[in-house]
Amino acid sequence: MVRRTVTATGRLLLGLLLVPLCLLAIAVTFVTLVVSATYLGLILLPYAIRLNRGVASLARRNAGAWLGRPVTASYHPIRGGILTRVRVVMGDPQTWRDLAFLAQHVFTGPFGAIPAIALWGALGWALSLPLWWDAFGPGRHIYLPWALDSWWTVALTVPLFMAVVAAVGFRIVPLVAEGLAQLARSLLATPQHVRLAERVAEALDAHGYELRRIERDLHDGAQARLVSIAMRLGIAERVLATDPGKAAALITEARLSTEETMTELRGIIRGMYPPILADRGLPGAVAALAARSPVPVETETDDVGRLPAAVEAAAYFVIAEALTNVARHSSATKATIVVRRTENRLTAEVTDDGRGGADEDGGSGLAGIRRRVSAFDGETTLTSPRGGPTTLRVELPCE
Amino acid sequence: MRVIIVEDSVLLAEGLTLLLTTEGHEVVATVGTAEEFHEAVDEHRPDIAVVDIRLPPTFRDEGVRAAVEVRRVHPGQPILVLSQYVEQTYATELLAGGGGGIGYLLKDRVARVSEFVDALERVAKGGTAMDPEVIAQLLVRRHAHPIDSLTPREREVLSLMAEGHSNTDIAASLVVTERAVHKHVGNIFAKLGLPPSDSGHRRVLAVLAYLSGV
Repeated sequence: MVRRTVTATGRLLLGLLLVPLCLLAIAVTFVTLVVSATYLGLILLPYAIRLNRGVASLARRNAGAWLGRPVTASYHPIRGGILTRVRVVMGDPQTWRDLAFLAQHVFTGPFGAIPAIALWGALGWALSLPLWWDAFGPGRHIYLPWALDSWWTVALTVPLFMAVVAAVGFRIVPLVAEGLAQLARSLLATPQHVRLAERVAEALDAHGYELRRIERDLHDGAQARLVSIAMRLGIAERVLATDPGKAAALITEARLSTEETMTELRGIIRGMYPPILADRGLPGAVAALAARSPVPVETETDDVGRLPAAVEAAAYFVIAEALTNVARHSSATKATIVVRRTENRLTAEVTDDGRGGADEDGGSGLAGIRRRVSAFDGETTLTSPRGGPTTLRVELPCE
Repeated sequence: MRVIIVEDSVLLAEGLTLLLTTEGHEVVATVGTAEEFHEAVDEHRPDIAVVDIRLPPTFRDEGVRAAVEVRRVHPGQPILVLSQYVEQTYATELLAGGGGGIGYLLKDRVARVSEFVDALERVAKGGTAMDPEVIAQLLVRRHAHPIDSLTPREREVLSLMAEGHSNTDIAASLVVTERAVHKHVGNIFAKLGLPPSDSGHRRVLAVLAYLSGV
């Protein structure tokens, strides 16, 4: 109880310290919004919002520490040209929720600190009573129902007063801290449904992109080739009697073109959903990947059972991409794949003994892996110290 | 030759039948499931069975499993497995039972009729026919591997050897003399540290085991 109250006091006082920062951020935002009629304001606006986000993130940490679980927000990343940046920050609902938090905290922050300060102030006052009750003459200036006019009244009053104050204060202060933390969380944490909506949007984007890619591949590739085959066969049919030599040549061309089409279709199918996954599930597919890797690979796969096809495919492509990276960039002499399933999560880990120092932004396909994994609300962790070893770990939720 | 076809797609089964009868072979049965495949082999004892890898009910790798199973019951029964895609793992499983007379080819290869029929006849006689794709998958492996010490020509010979071709075939397709092929083969075995082996299935097994086993 005492401990909790002390912690609550700490959190409330930190909240009080945030108040001037809130005021500053609000003032800056307000001024920037006013001058955003001019070009300069538009340039400054994203920076003002960054300041808001900074203050909000301090408040998030404060509330999270009290609640015992992190308060997290997802912002739309600020990038692009000046107008795009403005559109991003203005269109991000969390921008306005942050601002609402800052505005209300200017009031709730100080009010929240009052009970804490009052509690410890009253306790301190009671403890100091024996030192000075006599200085002003007995009974005066001390607002108690009875007069402090002797040592024994003081000796009784101090513990009694402290007991009453503590009984009330030790209940109220943690309650206030809890209330303010909850309030902060309700404004500063991005709500579950918003997160879900964002993830769905991302997944739909990725899906749409895939559909377009497949459509393009089929349209420009296989379909065009089939047309040319049909044309060649049609001509061959017409000239068969008059020019058998030409007909034979055309038929050969048609056959060659058919073979190319089949190779191409195989590639497209492999890119959509590798047949080995359908045949053998993830363990079999991972074994096949390992078998065709130029770098020797050891695999350690749990019997993961059947997984949703999309999750299986995502895990497969991530491992395939990771192995490609190992072969291309790492100079490794061996690699290990570990696939595990724990309750509702599928974990895949690819480790190599190469030179490490893998760069996220080096266009090594890591961004693609991250995108693929995050569409499933999964997590990607890359550890690659210079000198190795490199470990890529992805976690995918699966029911 | 007396052939049975195990293929659930009527379109492809008809195509294969047309191709084989045109080439002068006899299709004694066309069936669509692994179970019927067993029965047809029991009944007809064909010279060769041409088997699609995906069969009902699950359309996964029934063909491979059925082939392995049939050969367990009838050792040495020649089987040619056809698939829309090849995986080295399947090749290993098909070869694992030992004994010759096994083939594993992409369906695409059917288009090159004479090569396809050659492969079919080779398998029926107890030889091997591995798809070039399988060999290509095996050859991408390994930095600092003895295979790197092979000359490009020797790699070509190695690939053709692994696909199951005889020295005579290799000589014909590379347009060199059989003696030259013989010399290349000797060099390859020496460089890879393999015991010299005559042509035929044992040689294929040795080469494939070497390539996939490292």
